[in-house]
Amino acid sequence: MNFSLFLCNILPRRKEKGKSPAFRNFVKLSSKEVIGKKVTSTALILILCYSVMYSQNKEMLYDFTDIPQSLLLNPGADTNFNYHIGIPLLSHVNLNIGIKGASLFDVFSEDEDNINDKIAHTLNKLTNNDYLTITQQLEVFNFGWKANKRNDIYFSGGIYQEFDAIGYFPKDFAVLAYQGNQDYVNEIFRFSKLRGNAELMMVYHFGLTKKVNKKLILGLRAKLYSSMFHVRSNKNKGFFTTLEVSDANNIYQHIISNADITIKTSGYASLKEIYENEEDDGDKIDESINSLVGKSLLGGNLGFGIDLGGTFKVNNRTNITASLNDLGLVFYNKDIETYQIRGNYVFEGFDTPIQFSGQAPQNFLDELEEATSIDENSDPYIVMRPLKLNSSIRYSFNRYKNDNCDCFIKGKQLPFMDSFGAQVFMQFRPKRPQFAGSLFYLKRFFPFLRTKLTYTIDEYSYYNVGFVISADINKINFYISANNLLDYNNIVKARNISMQLGFNVIM
Amino acid sequence: MYRHFFSKKYKRYLSLTLFGFLWVFQFTSCVDDVDFEQVHLIELNPVYEVDFVYARFDTDVFHQSSSVFVPELIVNDTLDYDLLGIDFATKHLVRVELTFEFENTIQRDFEFHFGFLNVEGERIGPTYHMIADKGNGGGTSPVKTTRQIVMNNVTIDEVETATKLVSSLRLKNVSGTLKGIFELRSKGSYFINYQL
Repeated sequence: MNFSLFLCNILPRRKEKGKSPAFRNFVKLSSKEVIGKKVTSTALILILCYSVMYSQNKEMLYDFTDIPQSLLLNPGADTNFNYHIGIPLLSHVNLNIGIKGASLFDVFSEDEDNINDKIAHTLNKLTNNDYLTITQQLEVFNFGWKANKRNDIYFSGGIYQEFDAIGYFPKDFAVLAYQGNQDYVNEIFRFSKLRGNAELMMVYHFGLTKKVNKKLILGLRAKLYSSMFHVRSNKNKGFFTTLEVSDANNIYQHIISNADITIKTSGYASLKEIYENEEDDGDKIDESINSLVGKSLLGGNLGFGIDLGGTFKVNNRTNITASLNDLGLVFYNKDIETYQIRGNYVFEGFDTPIQFSGQAPQNFLDELEEATSIDENSDPYIVMRPLKLNSSIRYSFNRYKNDNCDCFIKGKQLPFMDSFGAQVFMQFRPKRPQFAGSLFYLKRFFPFLRTKLTYTIDEYSYYNVGFVISADINKINFYISANNLLDYNNIVKARNISMQLGFNVIM
Repeated sequence: MYRHFFSKKYKRYLSLTLFGFLWVFQFTSCVDDVDFEQVHLIELNPVYEVDFVYARFDTDVFHQSSSVFVPELIVNDTLDYDLLGIDFATKHLVRVELTFEFENTIQRDFEFHFGFLNVEGERIGPTYHMIADKGNGGGTSPVKTTRQIVMNNVTIDEVETATKLVSSLRLKNVSGTLKGIFELRSKGSYFINYQL
């Protein structure tokens, strides 16, 4: 049972009940699937855990040109490989989770305070602008090679799977669920605060990096997106309120005004059908996996996009880079199920005895259903990919001078051992762009061992220190990076956790 | 010395040591000073206020003739009201406060009764009775009467199988000379206790 069903039943009704299957199904769905106890618990914990996440910012790997994955962040990166092959399924693993506004510690700290007081305090602290984001990437494989005839061109390509989700904290409705409306009479609960987006997709990409001249490197990467699952709710309108009125029929007026809520899904309908038709749990899982795999192999909703980037060498010590990732669209025209709820409704209680008014009996559920109808459609829609921008400036010094070592390619200029600089990141999200700025120091301890230390600031955190280390053992390259290192002594205080690791064969 | 540094053996040991350190650093990071067992203590206690019934009785509309005299006027009504029988209410509704506000200018007391019926139409649980004080006649300031009914979890359990709410308004000695307006406004406060 759940709050929505409770609220529907809290209101007395005339003898005739609303019989609409759609509305009943909605209530049933709400009660059994959406806000079941476990889901409620999980959702509440997630709400409590809202803190900052840096979306898809990979400040440690950007312009870290010793690993091939830097080409995914900037196709115009100044790399120096003859060829590379990623170890399948291990060449790039990325996980980035963050919450803006609070941390687990705020709620679960071991102290004398009651957890419910801490939840109330955290709820009060969070705003509608806080959010939770989760980004996960797994590279299936990755490869690249230098063109034989024209050494100034490097081709690279691969496939990776990506899950990306962002959910803004719906403070208005969290308050309504957690505290009720008694203390919030005359307050407005806006449907526009319900925003979120989640997508699971496979990305096929191929690009080239061209050294235009001694100063300029440009890159272009084409991407083909194969979406497996997508859900999005954005640009909702309207509000719900409980108004205390002196000149109306009753004490309050419960108002749903100009409600316009849309939830677009693709890939959900087929999964729902599997779960409705299959009885065996094993079959449900197998069928679901088969469905998702089929969609990942270009059988889903397709989209196209590009990455652009470049490196400009101001002089032999200073580089400026910039890149633009995922400038593209996904066209959703298969397996779509869109829900729209629109309408207005005012409830003032029930006129009784009805003989006094001489009007027909009131039927709350029928009236509500008619006033705020739930429509389903399968209309195609198009969504832009979350565009990401990166840029950096880097100054290098301390060129390698050891003549006794043949560790670097003969004929090539020896590399610098130290660099420092700054970089910025921006990503477009449903509500507004997210920004981050970083200072970094690159240190090459030995020819086979490189590190990068970053210090990142964004609107949520001023002490995010990240570190990446990359080493070559024979031709095998291994890298691992993590941010928010200062919070690792007690990770529950962290509002963002990001890590990447991978293995490549590099020549 | 540098040649020693760049030997394959040294490279391997150094790299593995550093990676091992970072790996261990990441995956053995501490979780201190927190108690996730507190999740079992989380409880939601929202209070929802929702309009209940309302009524308006104007003698100008009701009167047919000044010579009419009715010893007792009773108006009954029935509403669907199965809130208290749903699973959520049975498990999590701990208290209901029904607040009734009467405003009366008619020079007669109004009796308001209500109670609950099960699916067979049989009375269950308590029957509530309240009186709205008589007014001072048409055109005067209304006399206000406020009554509150509290249903605790024992009462809620008693009416668990309720599907309908019956109400009646009683007015005695109704004559054509009575003037004024009677109004009823009411709300329900529903206290929830939801433990994870």
